[in-house]
Amino acid sequence: MGAALIVLAGLAAWEAIVRLGLVDDLLLPAPAQVAESLWSDRALLADDLAVTTGEVLLGLAAAIAAGAALGVTMHVSRPARRALRPLVIGSQAVPVPVIAPLVVLVLGFGLAPKVLLVALVCFFPVAINVYDGLRDTDADARKLLRSLDASRWQTLRMLELPSALPSAFTGMKVAAAVAVIGAVFAEWSGADSGLGHALLTANGQLETARAFAATLLLFLLAVTLYGALSLLERRVVDWTPRSDPGGP
Amino acid sequence: MTRLTPLLLLLLLALAGCGEKEEPTTGGSGETEPFTVMLDYFPNADHAGIYAAQASGEYERAGLDVEIQAPPDPSAPLKLLQAGRADVAITYEPELLLARDKDADVVSVGALVQKPLTSLMSVGSKAITRPAQLRGKRVGTAGIPYQSAYLRSILEQAGVDPGSVKEISVGFNLTPAMLSGKVDATLGSFWNYEGVDLARRGRKPKILRMEDLGVPTYNELVFAARRNELDEDGASRLRRFLQATARGHRLLERDPGAGVDALLEVDDGLDRGLQADVVEATLPVFFPEDEELPWGYQDPREWEAYERWMREGGLLKQPAGGRAPLTNEFLPGEGLDPGVSGLQ
Repeated sequence: MGAALIVLAGLAAWEAIVRLGLVDDLLLPAPAQVAESLWSDRALLADDLAVTTGEVLLGLAAAIAAGAALGVTMHVSRPARRALRPLVIGSQAVPVPVIAPLVVLVLGFGLAPKVLLVALVCFFPVAINVYDGLRDTDADARKLLRSLDASRWQTLRMLELPSALPSAFTGMKVAAAVAVIGAVFAEWSGADSGLGHALLTANGQLETARAFAATLLLFLLAVTLYGALSLLERRVVDWTPRSDPGGP
Repeated sequence: MTRLTPLLLLLLLALAGCGEKEEPTTGGSGETEPFTVMLDYFPNADHAGIYAAQASGEYERAGLDVEIQAPPDPSAPLKLLQAGRADVAITYEPELLLARDKDADVVSVGALVQKPLTSLMSVGSKAITRPAQLRGKRVGTAGIPYQSAYLRSILEQAGVDPGSVKEISVGFNLTPAMLSGKVDATLGSFWNYEGVDLARRGRKPKILRMEDLGVPTYNELVFAARRNELDEDGASRLRRFLQATARGHRLLERDPGAGVDALLEVDDGLDRGLQADVVEATLPVFFPEDEELPWGYQDPREWEAYERWMREGGLLKQPAGGRAPLTNEFLPGEGLDPGVSGLQ
């Protein structure tokens, strides 16, 4: 309720600023103009939303699989940890525009380069959170298992993996939030559809309202993905319910 | 692993520069050969003649299965061309000269746009109508070195101390920077695109064109090809491509709507009215001024003057000479001016 009021007040102020001519509407369209574009360009934007959603979901799935595998590998093998950790961390400093032409060179212009770029942006929070989650297992439980002569594999399967799940979900939720911007960057590196491509075309034609409409859809896509993962988390990790942080 | 191996193979192939190389075919009837065109930017009215050729079946009749591809970014077409990802790339004359200066074995084989499109643009009551008015002003540029050099040349010729003008690199945000008043003028927007767009929106942009301000004229957009691919088969494909593209431009001249329809067919996010107006504005510079000359003609003397200007400005490092950066020998009416070919 409170959030809705804040949003409404913000929208009203925004609309007024543009209507009063305080900002050029080629730079900042009024909310009503954005809404109008959302409606009148709906066929166009729906297709682009479907394309981007596909890229995001596939990229995110790849990132979760690769990130989890990396996290586990770094946890169980010291040489792998030593070799991979700097690479994993450093990979996040590589700007997309630098690698995009290379990715295009190898994978061409289809879906594959978008999925790869999304995965590159997203795998890091998954890998690091899985790795940290595996390390942060209860020391007493670990001792207990050792005293019971559990093998490395048994410790991993029965103790470490389950206890790393909440942390893994944190990683996946962060990944979901950044996956969308990853898809936009990927589409800016050569695409003929998708919301990122729509943004580029709209900006090139000074159609700011459509650019904002596309951005709104990206915003909603990120929120929805995050929400879906939170929901899944509540189902899967039923033994450690996240508590309400409280406050008045 | 099974997925990775073909990728590595592809990478090796691409690095070896033969990713797209076709086996020689008999050039028989009915069969079309694949041919990839890398655009300079996302599809827009500058490419209307190419899409018109595509839509009207000119390429197919020329025995080519043409794929038109937008690049990852405007600096990528030449790199992807060199890597064998395209048979022809659309790039800018200065970019081609810069690549050649860095020993890229690429050659311009035809001009898509005969004149500079880059312009000095301003809006509002204090719009710049003469370069002398730039004294003490802020000019937004895209941060491209040769475009900054245009600004210095313009100021010098107008007798304005370049130190009195503040150049601000605004990247891709030329128009927003200008509309928000953060800069007094921009250098880098195209008069035929951003200029037409702003005019349609009633913003009355004041546009000054590079060649009118003392910057040596050049071909804004050119078709670049790999020199080492121009053996007998490669030359045949290129010749057929350029001839079909020339016909596409003649078609566009007769019926601009056909080109616009073809463009919207590829990207329905494009604004029909804008694209139609841009095509109309650009038509005169799709063809050489001298009607005797073939479509795509590149004037070697203009290229020489422009290259000299770049070298004098320190933009090119290598001494003058070397292989010609352009050739007209693949244009319709081939062999017209064999003296300028760098390929004998």
